[in-house]
Amino acid sequence: MAKHPVSLKVNGDEHDLLIEPRKTLLAVLRDTIGLTGTKEGCSTGDCGACTVIVDGKAVTSCMVLGVTASEKEITTIEGLASDGELHPIQQAFIDTGGYQCGFCTPGFIMASKALVDENPDRSEEEFRFALGGNICRCTGYTKILEAVLQAAEEIRTNS
Amino acid sequence: MSDYSVVGKKLPRVDAVEKVTGAAQYGADVHPAGMLYGKIVRSKHAHAKILSIDTSEAEKLPGVRAIITQDDVPSGRRVFATDKVLYLGEPLAAVAATDADVAEEAAELIKIEYEVLPVVQDVMESIKPSAPRLHGDETKDGPHRRNISAEIKELSSDQEEDNSDEIRKLQAELEKYSDEVYYNISAETHNEAGDVEKGFAECDIVVEDTYVIPRVHQTYMEPHVSVASADSSGKITVWASTQGPFAIRSGIAGTLGIPLTQINVIGTTMGGGFGGRFGVIITHVPAVLLSQKSGRPVRVQMTREEEFLDGRPAPGCVIKLKTGATKDGHILARQALAFWDSGSVSGASIGSTIRVRGVYKIPNIKIDAYGVHTNKSGTAAYRAPGAPQAIFAGESQLDDIAAQIGMDPVKFRLMNMREEGDSVPAGGSEPKVGYKETLEAVADAAGWWDREADDNQGWGVAVGDWTNGCGPGGVYVSVHEDGSARIFHGSMDITGTDTAITQIIAEILTVPYENVTIRRGDTDSAPYSTGSGGSVVTFTMGNTAKLAAEDARRRILELAAERLNTNEDNLELKDGAVHIVTADPPKSILLGELAAYSLSTTGGPIVGKGSFARQPSTPALAAQIAKVEVDPDTGRTRVLKLVASQDVGFAINPMAVEGQIEGGTVQGYAWAMMEEMQYGDNGNVNPGFVDYRVPTSADLPTVESVIVEVPAPNGPYGAKGVGEPPITPTLATMANAVKDAVGIRVTELPIKPEKVVDALKNNGHGA
Repeated sequence: MAKHPVSLKVNGDEHDLLIEPRKTLLAVLRDTIGLTGTKEGCSTGDCGACTVIVDGKAVTSCMVLGVTASEKEITTIEGLASDGELHPIQQAFIDTGGYQCGFCTPGFIMASKALVDENPDRSEEEFRFALGGNICRCTGYTKILEAVLQAAEEIRTNS
Repeated sequence: MSDYSVVGKKLPRVDAVEKVTGAAQYGADVHPAGMLYGKIVRSKHAHAKILSIDTSEAEKLPGVRAIITQDDVPSGRRVFATDKVLYLGEPLAAVAATDADVAEEAAELIKIEYEVLPVVQDVMESIKPSAPRLHGDETKDGPHRRNISAEIKELSSDQEEDNSDEIRKLQAELEKYSDEVYYNISAETHNEAGDVEKGFAECDIVVEDTYVIPRVHQTYMEPHVSVASADSSGKITVWASTQGPFAIRSGIAGTLGIPLTQINVIGTTMGGGFGGRFGVIITHVPAVLLSQKSGRPVRVQMTREEEFLDGRPAPGCVIKLKTGATKDGHILARQALAFWDSGSVSGASIGSTIRVRGVYKIPNIKIDAYGVHTNKSGTAAYRAPGAPQAIFAGESQLDDIAAQIGMDPVKFRLMNMREEGDSVPAGGSEPKVGYKETLEAVADAAGWWDREADDNQGWGVAVGDWTNGCGPGGVYVSVHEDGSARIFHGSMDITGTDTAITQIIAEILTVPYENVTIRRGDTDSAPYSTGSGGSVVTFTMGNTAKLAAEDARRRILELAAERLNTNEDNLELKDGAVHIVTADPPKSILLGELAAYSLSTTGGPIVGKGSFARQPSTPALAAQIAKVEVDPDTGRTRVLKLVASQDVGFAINPMAVEGQIEGGTVQGYAWAMMEEMQYGDNGNVNPGFVDYRVPTSADLPTVESVIVEVPAPNGPYGAKGVGEPPITPTLATMANAVKDAVGIRVTELPIKPEKVVDALKNNGHGA
């Protein structure tokens, strides 16, 4: 299949690539660039494990074709910690036990980051509904919500 | 509270940073150089004869490197179907190609000719003579026929007297139960204690019902995956997403007839398992075969759809249950006849039917359970395998009896609960348990005793028991020159077990928790370890870790006595140093100094070894209370409160323990309220998250967990396995709450809104 040139900006790095138009952004991130922190849980946009941030919005990268992400700013889980410091959301997931097997965690953290960046001033109920696109099978969500609320509180306080 | 400094504390998990940064390596993250992508070719029919498999077109596709069918399995062990398929999605062939999309294209180019056969999906249909036979014409007798046949056999073997009249009468009796000749049976199990007939005769109240529990999928978030690499010498390396690398090693060896030592299994970080991640032929064997044929490493990764078609979910079942009690509330008899849907192969957890006995003193009990073949994939364990189904029936019926007697459901349970020394129906004597403490704890925490409910609101309670498994394990621990300690073992972390092991070793060696690191070896390097299922890990590996740390501690004290020129009795290991207890001024040596000293003299590295086989486990109880509100117009049930208590023996890491309780409870909630693998005439019809709904954060409130600690005599620090119990009572908790709210007894799960609406229209019938 003919390949197309794309320029992806991932976690601040530019990647000039030739990719088949049928490859999803998820496949490009994982197989071409080698950023495997973003997970594939369903390939149908239903579980949220592949969530990354594209131009400030959380998207399921299995539902986006790589060629359409050209020139956009993409942040994956690998781009969240800076200078060896974990992002407050990552730290909150550790503090509260907001993860178990960890497979859904990158997606949850990226979805939470987009929500908190947009508006950290949400109630628990609002976060519960806003995170309804991400599935976790281990935690029962109680500690994930604790993590997100803790991080939102910290971000509110520091901003 | 305990005097411990590391165990019993809410410490961050040892895998924390790798899990929140995306660095943890799961199966699909493994990418050896030259790796090919595998794809399994699956049956398009639920039951069909295979007339031909034509791979010629697929072979011509550029990028295809290997195609395999059952002809490529030298051992002849069934990996792919040849003559007949028994379920939709059954593997027929596999392809390896240079690209995942090419592999998928090639799989579609493989032409398979079928002759479609009649399908049976329902266990109650499958046992009838009219059902298509999946594995032949053999039949099994139902409970009455078994009893009568046993009598006939006994009378026939009597040499002394002529019993022919009686035998003829019994044979006529046998004819009356012709509907008890069951077809398509995969397995059967029977338990009995006391005399149920007599027991029921003494009861004032007898309740009888049929409970139908659907097949549900474990739905671990990481689909099955394996990467296999066979080198030219025949050595095979498999990166496997599995709960039991050693089980996978022996499984591959047995299936393919390869010596054990030729196979190295590297367990990758596991994206959830819940019992469903022990399968050998699902992805591991095809990956090995494709690698052997292509000479390249091959990854076989399932899609979510493939998970639903060809995973090994939890079996659904039909349980006919009868319970009798006296009007003052004593349960006297219980009888169950269960049919478990084991799919195309045997293996459903039919032995768990005995769990209808619950934690109650029931003097008379009789259980007859059958595994039944249907045109579905085989089944596997799912978190306390079989218990949620059996306990749903048992605990639902218990509430109906309590209601008929007019007793509070919690008091009724407390009154009938077993205590230490009571006899377990068909199961020996009860050890020290915390059943009553655990139920009382949840009742208190939930506010049961002064509960209030508005219209259409209700409260439900249920309890479920489970006993953790146990198996062999080995742990090494080394103490280094910098005073740190390193643990080496071979068991898969099942969301927190590595942390528990680390806490135990840090406690005993008095090394700061953050200076103890843990590494899991592959099957070539690590000591053997039992699989991470059945809540075994903390119990087994915790005990093993204790032994290893105590062994290292012994060596440390021996070396310190030598170095400090004193007797071991004068020494104490504390805060990472060995102190002479009687010395004034104080005299001590740091663990790091001791390790360095030992290296530079004749002592050698400080290594402790723990090897453990088994110890008796102690039952654990999970007790839950839910408050719900049912909308009578839409039938939707909203959970207002969900409280879960559990006797964990001792919580080595309370944060991890709470996580297990919360997660298990929500899985139970999902089984009760929403999950159900649905089957049409041609197999599973809801193989994806749109049609197979699992809960999201929007579906539930906070789960409140209550930890109860009644120590297990043989558990490390008294710990019991915590992973499985919390799913066991929730199905009944929810059904009992819905009953309390709107008066509808749902006996067929899940409690879907339309079922509730229909039942309300029919005045509570037909749910």
